[in-house]
Amino acid sequence: MNKVLFFAHLRDEAGVESAEIEAAGKTVAQLKEIVAETYKLGKLDSAMAAINEEFAPNEEVIQEGDVIAFIPPVSGG
Amino acid sequence: MSTRYSRQTLFPPIGKEGQEKISSKHVLIIGAGALGSGNAEVMTRAGVGKLTIIDRDYVEASNLQRQQLYTEQDVADKLPKAAAAEKRLRTINSDVEIVALIGDATPEKLAELAEGVDLILDSTDNFETRMAINDIAQKYKIPWIYGACVASFGMSFTVIPGVTPCLNCLLKTVPIQGLTCDTGGIIGPAVQMAIAHQTAEALKILVEDWEAVRASFVSFDLWRNQYTSMKMGRAKDPGCLSCGEHPEYPYLSAENMTKTTVLCGRDTVQIRPPHSEGVDLSDMAARLKALGYEVKGNPYLLSAEMDENRFVLFQDGRALIHGTKDLAQAKSIYNRLLG
Ligand SMILES: [Zn+2]
Repeated sequence: MNKVLFFAHLRDEAGVESAEIEAAGKTVAQLKEIVAETYKLGKLDSAMAAINEEFAPNEEVIQEGDVIAFIPPVSGG
Repeated sequence: MSTRYSRQTLFPPIGKEGQEKISSKHVLIIGAGALGSGNAEVMTRAGVGKLTIIDRDYVEASNLQRQQLYTEQDVADKLPKAAAAEKRLRTINSDVEIVALIGDATPEKLAELAEGVDLILDSTDNFETRMAINDIAQKYKIPWIYGACVASFGMSFTVIPGVTPCLNCLLKTVPIQGLTCDTGGIIGPAVQMAIAHQTAEALKILVEDWEAVRASFVSFDLWRNQYTSMKMGRAKDPGCLSCGEHPEYPYLSAENMTKTTVLCGRDTVQIRPPHSEGVDLSDMAARLKALGYEVKGNPYLLSAEMDENRFVLFQDGRALIHGTKDLAQAKSIYNRLLG
């Protein structure tokens, strides 16, 4: 099992702060698709992903027990 | 005023030596909105040698809640932000050489401004300009500090050419339709938190305490009490076109820039973003309605109107801003709504 954390406006859109998803063996890009579908999130493509608090590229393969965070880049200033 | 910087020089990592370094450095701030006014005030009070700040906008009443350099009088006078910032900063510290420029931070302008600059503080409201800053910083080997905030959250990351990954390594493309302060709102503390992160890094860089520079990407939500630090050790992309082995600085080239054109005889500016991923029109319509716009639309476009503001947004991200012939003003309206 994997824990997925949502930050910033993704959290508002998902309606939850975190979710439990079976993601071992999947890439970050695949997980983004699944999560976007499940939680009806429109903007995950440009969100950055961290696995266990470390930046993870889209090709990275998720391991059992990894904690994945999605952090959307913010443009305001 | 010999005691002017005493509390800062008493802080051991700065000291007298650090203060001398600070006063010999030139900081460039891109944008004079919420982050720009805060960053500029901290840098001016800290006693940088020279501060250059550029902005294309003017002061409005809705800025006063968080943009700390501006006053009701500036709103009444419709002063450009750069001019109002300069006026205030000069009264804060007359030792600092302040250069304020009213205009658009295009890649050409950034290249011109980069000369002799020791540090760039990002205070813009859009990723197109940030990607151009990122490329300029790599090309001229100048450290820069990304900072952004919206609603109750914000983030910051320090880019040191040749050492850290760059913004292009992280994002790969220009994200469109992020929340902006004009659509998602913003509270003052989120601005201040982003400024605190940017200016603390700025001081470390100005005194050349490279070991102290934060290597992680920090993001926070002050309302939900979240704070996260993302390690960036593996983020550097050797094939990155901005910081990799064969850089091409893609965001300095014309094809990656938003095209703005005045439509003849129509008092309208067309804005066309490059490589747009497309816009979710129904989502955008809901946001605009919440802001008080009257919105009409079909699957291909939406048209929005409020007071003298009227614009049409197409699904591909293209927009027609009506009632103006001013390119910078039209672009500013566009970025405020779409980021
Ligand atoms: Zn890079």
